[in-house]
Amino acid sequence: MANSPVLTIDNLQVAIEDKQILQGVNLTVRGGEVHAIMGPNGTGKSTLASALMGHPKYSVIGGSASLDGEDLLAMSVDERARQGLFLAMQYPSEVSGVSNANFMRMALNSRLGEGNEIPVLKFHRELQKQMKTLSMDASFSERYLNEGFSGGEKKRNEILQMTILKPRIAILDEIDSGLDIDALRIVADGVNSLRSPDFGVLVITHYQRLLDYITPDHVHVMMQGRIVRSGGQELAKELEARGYDWIKEELGIIDDETVSAGM
Amino acid sequence: MNELREQTPLTQDVKAIYGEKASLESRIAGSEGYATLPEPNFGKGGWNKRNVTAFQTSPLSTVGQWQSIVHAYQPDGFQQPTIVLADGHVVMTQGLDALHDQGVIAMPLSQAEAEHASLVKEAMHSVIAQNENRYVALNSALWRDGLFLYLPKGIIVEKPIVVLSVTTQGGAGTFVRHLLIAKEQAQATVLTVDLAASDLAEELHVNVSEALLSDYAHVTFGVLHDFPKNATNHLMYRAKLARGAKMDWVIGELSEGYTVSEFASLLDGEGSSSTSHAVALGSGRANLNFTARMVHNARFSESDTMARGVMKDRAEAVFTGNTHILRGASGSNGLQSERLLMLSPKSKADAVPMLLIDENDVKCGHAASVGQINEEQLFYLMSRGISEQEAKRMIVWGFIDPVLTRLPVTTIKEAVEAAIERKMG
Repeated sequence: MANSPVLTIDNLQVAIEDKQILQGVNLTVRGGEVHAIMGPNGTGKSTLASALMGHPKYSVIGGSASLDGEDLLAMSVDERARQGLFLAMQYPSEVSGVSNANFMRMALNSRLGEGNEIPVLKFHRELQKQMKTLSMDASFSERYLNEGFSGGEKKRNEILQMTILKPRIAILDEIDSGLDIDALRIVADGVNSLRSPDFGVLVITHYQRLLDYITPDHVHVMMQGRIVRSGGQELAKELEARGYDWIKEELGIIDDETVSAGM
Repeated sequence: MNELREQTPLTQDVKAIYGEKASLESRIAGSEGYATLPEPNFGKGGWNKRNVTAFQTSPLSTVGQWQSIVHAYQPDGFQQPTIVLADGHVVMTQGLDALHDQGVIAMPLSQAEAEHASLVKEAMHSVIAQNENRYVALNSALWRDGLFLYLPKGIIVEKPIVVLSVTTQGGAGTFVRHLLIAKEQAQATVLTVDLAASDLAEELHVNVSEALLSDYAHVTFGVLHDFPKNATNHLMYRAKLARGAKMDWVIGELSEGYTVSEFASLLDGEGSSSTSHAVALGSGRANLNFTARMVHNARFSESDTMARGVMKDRAEAVFTGNTHILRGASGSNGLQSERLLMLSPKSKADAVPMLLIDENDVKCGHAASVGQINEEQLFYLMSRGISEQEAKRMIVWGFIDPVLTRLPVTTIKEAVEAAIERKMG
């Protein structure tokens, strides 16, 4: 898999139980690119992230999604991950009794495949190095997975997993929520350290702030389950200055639940 | 004194077998208790449908193949002071002499009844009444052997003392009895392991163990029980604690048979404390009625009870946590949690948290849950590339890890892990 990755999302429609959330999303993310999806709360941003990863609560009712030409939707969650997809979650689970280090080593070895497992010492050296970069205390490696972690610690732990697993395409779902400005910078540095032609990122956020640190190549606005506008970095700046209402007006969207959720 | 009473066959047998022993009188009383007490009410679940008469009065005269069963639990030989009982007979002791040099008495109970008759007599039944129920009485009539441990004041025994009891042949009944006395500030760790051949015929297994802790003594008591499906088990472990004493229970229940067990600490001394950590794996058609009981009978006493159950196949279980704070036990603190993980739709389990509080100035807390593997956790682990099967395994092992890490002897901890691994399939 030396060539540059490509995530292709074509007319994706997703429902939770019987309620359709995504109304047909089209997006292509290539290696080397950073895409940002912005938009008010409740418009389907996190649904897109979870559905791509294969969360069981979301059912795909139309469209397609592929990674490097392989049909993602036909794969189980773990197969998607091994194919190179990564989701940094908004609310990572706590798993009692499973140490952070063991979990990550298992995950990495699953990704590397049988026969290519990383030697234990090498793994721990790499883990300690990455933890240091993310200003995480060494004790985190032996603590139970996310158990008792603060919100900010959980987010750092997501980025730590990403830097260890080195995915081809990463989706960061509101990785900035609950982070103070120093932590935000550290997390952004972690993401930026992976930037290369072999790595594409989809950043989901509703604050422009994160994009000061992770500069996007493309910015998309999502409303009512669709991408309604795409542009460059300047679109994010404009949203910061003007909020979302002007887009709604232009598109004729009258939607109470999203009106108040501006900047 | 018994002349006027009609003698039961059991009493006659006991007289014939134990006529020369110091315990004779107490054994006769036990046999009478067995004859006169009603069948215990062990809750729903059909104790009375089991073959509870699958025992003989005398132990088997020959000992079966115990070595291979023990070997699974002690693959590297015996690094600790150890007693091995097989089919009711002492078949091996090791490393006890070094303890004797410290002034500690650690020996089979049968030997102690001859050499330390008054100590044994004084302590036995002082924590668990002889007539507490029919099967406790039966054990006091027929106990074959067990550990007698006497820790003099201030003595600290570093190495865990291991007692392995192996039943290789069914039908004779397994009657284990342990008796521990820890004098002031003494400390020790004991691990008792009850095992049986997997193809055991119908068998009644009654284990009654008492521990008496004087001021500031500290005992860690590990109990591992793995009997196969034909066994009907009643396990009764209880400690009585004086001022500032501490009792830590660590319990592994892997039996596939029918088991009623209770582990209790009587916190009679001010500032005494006890913890109980139990893990149970129900597999096959196991039926488990497990109770962890803490009785706060003194000021500033503390207890912490944790039980984790993993249920698969058609296993059924009731996990009861019973924390009782008696009047006068002000400043006490009792915590308990029972969490059950259901791996099979055909398994059944209940968590029953009971807090009985007769005093105002106390702290208590409980948590109980019965659930399946958490879908969000599973998704999270799988989203990192871990297969569903492996992710489930990690969640289950993580669920019981807080208890497993407390098992005192590394080789036995590993053996328990291997046994769980095997039963988990």
